[in-house]
Amino acid sequence: MKLVIGGYFQGKLDYVLGGNMLTDFCIVDGELPNAEQLQESKDNGKTVIVNHFHEWMRASIRQGKNAEQEILEFISNAPGCIVISDEIGNGIVPIDSFEREYRERTGRIMVKLAEQADEVVRVICGIGQRIK
Amino acid sequence: MLVLITGGSGSGKSAYAEDYITKLSKDYRKYYIATMQVYDEEGQERVCRHQKMRQGKGFITIEQSTDIHQVADKMEKNTTVENIALLECISNLVANEMFCAGQIRNCALVKKSIIGGIEELLKTIKDFIIVTNNVFEDGITYDETTTNYIRAMGEINQELAKIADKVIEVVVGIPIIVKEGR
Repeated sequence: MKLVIGGYFQGKLDYVLGGNMLTDFCIVDGELPNAEQLQESKDNGKTVIVNHFHEWMRASIRQGKNAEQEILEFISNAPGCIVISDEIGNGIVPIDSFEREYRERTGRIMVKLAEQADEVVRVICGIGQRIK
Repeated sequence: MLVLITGGSGSGKSAYAEDYITKLSKDYRKYYIATMQVYDEEGQERVCRHQKMRQGKGFITIEQSTDIHQVADKMEKNTTVENIALLECISNLVANEMFCAGQIRNCALVKKSIIGGIEELLKTIKDFIIVTNNVFEDGITYDETTTNYIRAMGEINQELAKIADKVIEVVVGIPIIVKEGR
């Protein structure tokens, strides 16, 4: 698995696509692919990209799901996938408790994903810095 | 040696800082300077989580939520064994110094107290690891009070980075060297 992080509008997805054909990928946005999509990408040798991972985290936390378990299970089923997420923790601790939880849990699961990742890239101004 | 470690919330900076000092600590007395004031259950949980993380690592905890220079009086002064310390974290310390007993102290006073205190402590602490917080990148315009807090944080981080031997940013648990060597 490859983890790509950075601020918003930094060109993370473009960096990942790297000029390849869109059809080389199975891109899901703010969600995880379902079993069908996963199978289809396996059959056709497509790389799965989970774009806007933080939005999936946010929605999952909002729905009271065990998001951490779900994403770790997903990655063990799709070890070749690419996860793209905004960095959201670099600010004042929010007054709203949901916003605090969202930042904390997203941060911590990203640390875990980074541990498991073969490669971690931080994208700034469209340029990827390989930090792992 | 002064090492400044920064990162966002949930970035893994605390775990990294604890590992960092544990690797240095073989022959030294190792202190953990806790700065957080507990107001509610969530704060208590946070403290518990950190205590658990530190458990069995041989830290002596000193609680010091303001007036950081006073830490010196709470440390043992046996010169055959040197002291090293991990301070966590500047963002709590600044908040505690700035917003105390219903009053708001100005940025310059807070800065003086914290930087002065740390410089004082550096005379007796062999290796000082300080954790701070990247609170500067959420793009939100805050009220004047919060903006002053962010400014104080920024200025204090800059001062600490100037005198630090090493500055490290932790991103998703991965250390990125920002400064190495004076």
